[in-house]
Amino acid sequence: MATTAVDRVFAPTRGVLQEAGEMMILTGRTIVSAVKPPYPYGAEFVGQFMFALRLCWFPLLVSTVAFGYEAPGLQAANFLVLFGALDRLGGFFVLASIREFAPFVDAIVLAGVAGTAITADLGARRIREELDALEVLGVDPIKNLVVPRFLALMLVTGLFDIYALLFGVFGGVLATLVNHQPLGPFWATFFNNASTTDLWGSVVKTTLFGAIIAVVCCYKGMTAKGGAEGVGRAVNEAVVIAFLAIFAFNYVFTQVLLATHPALTDIVK
Amino acid sequence: MDDLFAVPRGWLESFGEIVKFCARILGDIASLRVFKYFGEVLRQAGILIVSSTLVIWGLVFIIGLQCGIEGAYFDRSVGVPAYAGVFAAWCDLRELVPLCFGYMMAAKVGTGIVAEIGSMRISDEIDALEVMGISGVTFLCATRLLGSMLVLPFVYLCSIGAGFFASYLAVVQQIGDVSSGGYFLIFWQFQNPPDVLYSLIKAMAMAIVIVLVGCYYGYTATGGPVGVGTATAKSMVFNIVSVHVIGMLGTQLFWGANPRAPIGG
Repeated sequence: MATTAVDRVFAPTRGVLQEAGEMMILTGRTIVSAVKPPYPYGAEFVGQFMFALRLCWFPLLVSTVAFGYEAPGLQAANFLVLFGALDRLGGFFVLASIREFAPFVDAIVLAGVAGTAITADLGARRIREELDALEVLGVDPIKNLVVPRFLALMLVTGLFDIYALLFGVFGGVLATLVNHQPLGPFWATFFNNASTTDLWGSVVKTTLFGAIIAVVCCYKGMTAKGGAEGVGRAVNEAVVIAFLAIFAFNYVFTQVLLATHPALTDIVK
Repeated sequence: MDDLFAVPRGWLESFGEIVKFCARILGDIASLRVFKYFGEVLRQAGILIVSSTLVIWGLVFIIGLQCGIEGAYFDRSVGVPAYAGVFAAWCDLRELVPLCFGYMMAAKVGTGIVAEIGSMRISDEIDALEVMGISGVTFLCATRLLGSMLVLPFVYLCSIGAGFFASYLAVVQQIGDVSSGGYFLIFWQFQNPPDVLYSLIKAMAMAIVIVLVGCYYGYTATGGPVGVGTATAKSMVFNIVSVHVIGMLGTQLFWGANPRAPIGG
């Protein structure tokens, strides 16, 4: 078939749109299949939950402490020390850790660690034709493989948000201590400025991040093809798409939350 | 007692292996052996430009928007909306652009290298290379590292530009608490060329570690097509942690004792 210039421009675009559409279809089928009885995925759900927990706790701990100490900790402390107002670091950490950085470091680590493991696992099953064998046996791979991973990743990302938040704030505590300041004012401004809206916004956001990671990574794993390089390539594509989707969603979510809840941006002394 | 130390010892052992492997690659570059395959170096650099730059700039652009809106809302709340440029300048240049560059390098380039070299390893292509008298480490790993060293500083400088542009769009065009001139006055006052250099050093340290780790996991992949997938996933774990740790050390080193801000003495 002769490829015209038009084809050459539109073929990749069509590929991207098609993939996005297929991911949407997979999301829809996963949700329907999760709520429709029977529910055979209990054991697999627990297994995946523990798997993600075991894999992620340490990288997440190092990452959040490092990030909390680095970006909002050191830089903001530097800035505030110039004005002799380091006690306001606590208030800044509500914005920095709860609203912004704990969720996205959480999502980056989950996508990079648990998401890649899921894609590698499902991709391996696709390459070994285990998924085809399951279908022949009349076992629905979406209900038995995708749904438990989807639910487990949503739950685990949401819960890890709290964990990331605690260690992110610990980074701020470290930054305060490095500047030889007492911790009392840090906690005072932190709790004065912390609001329930921020907390639920953060947890809802990360739960949705978990859903995005699970759908992208399961889709890429289940459609892996092409022999030896296939699984590795699938992991590569999955993690790139997951990162872009997480950041784009994060921007939209934060903007909507801030614009619809003006009370969030009031600073309390 | 042995069980207790088995896991940390395993980590230490694999860390030592990685360092040994990286020293070999760096030795190949330092001893100029890699220049025997300079054509391959240029080819790898070209592949990097064509396949990865747009994605990296895209991610940095999104984080620039994010820094912009956070800065605009924060500075509105403390009553100085005209100073959103301070937040944007520090957030972009010093912290999040290097970090996001690191994330996307790890995701796109790092795992890409593992998948590519790993599949060569398990289909015995690397053994074939060595039978022909070509060193696999030099031809596959050192060329990739030198190729990325040639290209990435420029990619990174452009991605700083993408981040700045996005922050401008978010603060001035979207939120609109400050005029364009007022924003840029503050924005440029709170950064200077050494800051760009420090930021570049931080990002290049991340990029070099990511490429080296990618080469290591790809080169040592075992266990068929499934093994390549597992190695790819493992490299991502190492890279995510090292990106954050390098970011932290860089900030401590470059800005820890000196805020480099045009305030006070």
